Amino acid sequence: MEIAIKNSPEKLFIATEKQTGKAFAKRFLTSLITLFLLVSLIFVFVRLSPGDPTKKYVSAQLSPELSQKISEKFMLDKPVIEQYFAFLLNSVKGDLGVSYNFRQPVMKVVWEYFSFTLVFSTLSIFLQIIFSFSLAIFVARRKNTFLNKAVSDFSLFIYSIPSFVLGVFLIYLFSVVLNLFPISGLKSLDYDSFSFWGKILDQAWHLALPLITLSAAGTAMFYKYIKEGMDDVLHQSYILNLRSSGVKEKVILKKHVIPNAISPLISVAGIELGVLLGGALITEVIFSLPGMGRLTVNSILTRDYPLIIGCVLTAGIVMIIANYLADIIKIKFDKRLLKGLLN
Amino acid sequence: MKFKLKIIHWLTLLWLLLIVFQHEVLFQYLSLWFGYAKLFFVDFSEAIDVLSLKLVNVILSLKLFVFLPALYIIFRKKWIFLQGNLNFSYALLSLLIWILIFAPIITDENPEFSKNLAVTKLLPPFSSVKILHLAGELESSQSEKEKFHMRLNQTVKPAFNERIIFADSVIVSESVVYFQKTQKSELQKNELLLKNGEPFIQNKYFLLGTDEYGRDSFARLIYGTRISLFVGFGAVVLSFIIGIILGFIAGYSGGIFDTVLNRFTELFLSFPVIYLIVLILALFGSSLFSVIIVLGISGWMTLFKIVRGEVVSIKQRDFLISAESIGLKKSQLLAKEILPVILAPVIVNLVFLFSNVILAEAALSYLGLGTGNLYPSWGAMINSGQEYIYKAWWMIAFPGAALILTLFAANSSGRRINKIINPRLDK
Repeated sequence: MEIAIKNSPEKLFIATEKQTGKAFAKRFLTSLITLFLLVSLIFVFVRLSPGDPTKKYVSAQLSPELSQKISEKFMLDKPVIEQYFAFLLNSVKGDLGVSYNFRQPVMKVVWEYFSFTLVFSTLSIFLQIIFSFSLAIFVARRKNTFLNKAVSDFSLFIYSIPSFVLGVFLIYLFSVVLNLFPISGLKSLDYDSFSFWGKILDQAWHLALPLITLSAAGTAMFYKYIKEGMDDVLHQSYILNLRSSGVKEKVILKKHVIPNAISPLISVAGIELGVLLGGALITEVIFSLPGMGRLTVNSILTRDYPLIIGCVLTAGIVMIIANYLADIIKIKFDKRLLKGLLN
Repeated sequence: MKFKLKIIHWLTLLWLLLIVFQHEVLFQYLSLWFGYAKLFFVDFSEAIDVLSLKLVNVILSLKLFVFLPALYIIFRKKWIFLQGNLNFSYALLSLLIWILIFAPIITDENPEFSKNLAVTKLLPPFSSVKILHLAGELESSQSEKEKFHMRLNQTVKPAFNERIIFADSVIVSESVVYFQKTQKSELQKNELLLKNGEPFIQNKYFLLGTDEYGRDSFARLIYGTRISLFVGFGAVVLSFIIGIILGFIAGYSGGIFDTVLNRFTELFLSFPVIYLIVLILALFGSSLFSVIIVLGISGWMTLFKIVRGEVVSIKQRDFLISAESIGLKKSQLLAKEILPVILAPVIVNLVFLFSNVILAEAALSYLGLGTGNLYPSWGAMINSGQEYIYKAWWMIAFPGAALILTLFAANSSGRRINKIINPRLDK
């Protein structure tokens, strides 16, 4: 099957399925190289940092046998080049040493905490898209009104609020003054005595403030992009043509404006995930949630080096995967981008 | 003609306000300055010895403050931005820069000063306590050196002063009785500093309250502004240098450099920067300069992309080719031919970068990884405020508001400048 896309009046770009596959493979290779560079960069940083680099994997808290095992695995008594290859190999195997605090393999600890961050971020990104979209549509119907301008200004204001200020403010307002929501944590003390639905309600009750904190800035950003996209489309002549043909405003919005305005949203979503991971780091610290961000900060404050490396590596891998997926989805929507990838 | 408020009017107002409210501090600083000048001629080596960062800071601020009107009159033709119309975000930005320069004049308190915790701990805004001054050993025949030292200690306040006692209330009869919470203490009159035969008792107002160590929140906020802006400017300058140079190399030379640098940029863009920052700070330790360097290194990518794109597009233009054929060096090409052309988009980018850096610094300090342990910082103030959220709302409210207003001012100024440079955006 051949898909023909009119790129510019002179050139016609035709993407075959084979080419599509090639482009995706190329993009995948780029991701792999990025990953390799990330691992190398982490190794370089660990080696360059002050203090004995071998002490970054082995701590006095570990038993002598375990220390022996780890230093053999990371070849800590060998030259730097061999250490580097050992580090690469171990990273590929998913073996990053033993955490000092948890006395468990790093990947096991990270995985435990990562699942929470994943659910938390996914919930947040859904909320962001739903809210910003409905807000943009709501505003698009009320063009040139006070409300339109007010919402735009307010979104810039919300975007300027740092997540930790917003989080602490929400805690103060809803937990301290109004006493409506819990101040921190994920579960109530008597969590185990609840029924199934009670447990879900309890978790939702605890997650309400963190989700607002994490989603506010992203919602404002998405809103801005969607609004700009919509304004752009609404100025096009084909919309004027539709209007003059007597098509209902609702139909124009649903069938013509929204599908065309959606593409910037997807390209931002990949970048947004990085922002989200960073935001989750701070939000989890504010509300003491058991996620990867708080794990990272705690491991830094207690100088648990293997765990820090594990967390940073995991965050990097998640980000690279997210960027890859975002690019793939982007291409699915807009085949013209294939050309840029193939060159 | 309609009168329009300009930035210069706002600055004049700030200048006059400082003179009205802080004239005592100004006089003290002036006498310190003259004392130092005298010492400089009398005892040169001592003058060099006594020179500290704080003294330089005070004297520089004072000099700028005194000579500001003269500077304005000399440079009023060049500083055309001062004639710009005033709006909320410009007013805020200029206020911040004002605080950055004149922090020691705005408040003469030491932001680390803490004494008599029982009295000064967690005081709400606008509360006041009494200050008792203990008498010092009086020396009648003083050398120039000792006189200056005494004046220095009085004016540039140290972080600890054993001659001051904070008290809730004071009763003066034959002896002086003062109360610190439930504790009652007594002092003889001759132990205290006297003024007209009576003990010299002052009221100390804490404008924005105090924190958990009894430190003045207002002073901490002012000096925190300084740290935030300093980190912001430092990191932005570093990003600017890295971005411009790498972008120029990539765009101008093309080929393998271009490919490698592009890949490198994409690598930096494609992982969560905050985790990388955190890793570097964890491994290398966090000081003021390591925070600036790390934030500077993590922000140059968008600048690189802008510069590279622009350089590629103007590489074939006639003016650049002719400049090359005269035999200008590459650095001259960059500074004289390319930079003026691409300055507009770069400035807009720098303003947004500035707000990002300030946010990142505050976030790091909030997490306990930034400069907050060593210097007063907004993020660290919010962090300690969260611990006392049930008792002390002011510990969060003021630094939080300062941070939000700063970011809002930077963001909306960036948008304004963008609109001026690209009028097509403003449809």
